[in-house]
Amino acid sequence: MIQLYRVSKYYEGVPALRDVGFVVDKGEFVFLTGPSGAGKSTLLRMLYCAERADEGQIIIQGMNATKLNASSIPYLRRNMGFVFQDYKLLPNKTVYENVTLALKVVGTHASQIERRTYQVLKKVGMQAKRHLMPPMLSGGEQQRVAIARALVNEPQVLLADEPTGNLDPQSTQDIVRLFKDINMKGTTVLLATHDMEMVKKMQRRIIMMERGRVSDDGKQQHVRPGAPAPKKQETR
Amino acid sequence: MKGYGLFYYIAEAFRGLRAHRVVNLLAVSSISMAMLIVGFFLIVFFNLHGSVTTIGKQLEMSLYLKDGLTRHEREYVYSLVKAVPGVKKVTHLSKEEALREFRKELKGQDALLKDLGENPLPESFEIAIAQRYADADRLEAMAKQFMKFPGVEDVSYGRQGVTVLTRLFRLFTYGGLAVALLLGVSVVFIVSNSVRLALYSRDKEIELMQWIGASRGFIQGPFLMEGLLLGTLGTGLAIGILTGLYYALPQELVLFLTGPKGLDFLPTEVVAYMMIGGGLLGFAGGLVTVGRLLD
Repeated sequence: MIQLYRVSKYYEGVPALRDVGFVVDKGEFVFLTGPSGAGKSTLLRMLYCAERADEGQIIIQGMNATKLNASSIPYLRRNMGFVFQDYKLLPNKTVYENVTLALKVVGTHASQIERRTYQVLKKVGMQAKRHLMPPMLSGGEQQRVAIARALVNEPQVLLADEPTGNLDPQSTQDIVRLFKDINMKGTTVLLATHDMEMVKKMQRRIIMMERGRVSDDGKQQHVRPGAPAPKKQETR
Repeated sequence: MKGYGLFYYIAEAFRGLRAHRVVNLLAVSSISMAMLIVGFFLIVFFNLHGSVTTIGKQLEMSLYLKDGLTRHEREYVYSLVKAVPGVKKVTHLSKEEALREFRKELKGQDALLKDLGENPLPESFEIAIAQRYADADRLEAMAKQFMKFPGVEDVSYGRQGVTVLTRLFRLFTYGGLAVALLLGVSVVFIVSNSVRLALYSRDKEIELMQWIGASRGFIQGPFLMEGLLLGTLGTGLAIGILTGLYYALPQELVLFLTGPKGLDFLPTEVVAYMMIGGGLLGFAGGLVTVGRLLD
């Protein structure tokens, strides 16, 4: 589903990623973890083509993301869902409109929009608040809407960059449960976080990054004993 | 982008205008100020140009014939004159008709003609000149050409008046073009910058749409439409203000400033061109801004 081969990225000669390589299979749930500045966000940005790799290859669903031309990038992104730490909802559109935007972007027929939006909002428990504007919602609720928007096109891959970074413990638990449910239904999830508590509880594959390199790719489904919990800071 | 064509773009553009009303109001105000200046200049230009053109249309030349020409010789000169490019109409004026006209002009002062023996006035051709020949150099060349025709005694036209007229015409045409160019460049900057300022505040929206897989056209459409609307609204407001001022000005003041001719408002087609121009400039401003935000 996602394949990275010796991927490197430099900012003004300073390496942000060096020789990163791993494979994520279809239907897997993978945590990408490590301290701030380890390169997790840079890696995710390259997966959705917001950044280009300087070296190496990135293959996503059979498309080489390192060689895509600008006009093809939207088509790659339509098969992926993104969830960000700061939700990235449009504040002047309602919950419903924020979600439908993702459907309109891919040219979904108007007759299907209402049904699909309602279904996905129901899935994340936000159907009752569909007419509210994002600033009227709590952080956890906004993140649910962002997840609904990411899911509404039924992507095969869901990328999440610190999705619980701004949430309280209860909301974090709810969102993690939501990701788990999504994964159970077959969507591949790659979630970047430095919240080791959450990672420990989930017992899923962990790719640990340090200073731009993959320091540990635990195919075994547990966390290394004694792994230090990085400070809770925003990642690059 | 099936199902999301022009209607979607227009609806989104109106939504954008409503949602960002303060910044858009500022943009419309700047555009209307710029277009107000353009409109004011155009009114002045068209009125002055119109006056000069009216004078140009009334341009005539008198071609005096030698005494004693036979009918055949006169008709030959007539045919030569008629064939000259720029000659619109040729009217023959016999010696008697010329005297009658002269008497008419001297009405009340007939005593001056009392002792006149033989009719001293020559027979002539009165030539109406096409407006495009209302130019000192062309008229001079035409007069010289007429002088070479057999049987022609003299050619007369308001040489000095024509020279002044020609200068005025050139001044208004080239001066007007120069001012219009300067104004045009300023307006392009003002309109496109106003639209840019209005749209730059939407960078997050554009970025988000890119992330969720929107194509360039899908993102650009509503913004271009919004630029078009801003340009058109600004221009419409300017034309509204100009129309209001035009009808609000006391008629006495207008006549005092312009003379008996009065002041004409902009021709309808110029108003239409201004609206189209304002809209297109807004559209171009949107195109440049969104292009930069997308790259």
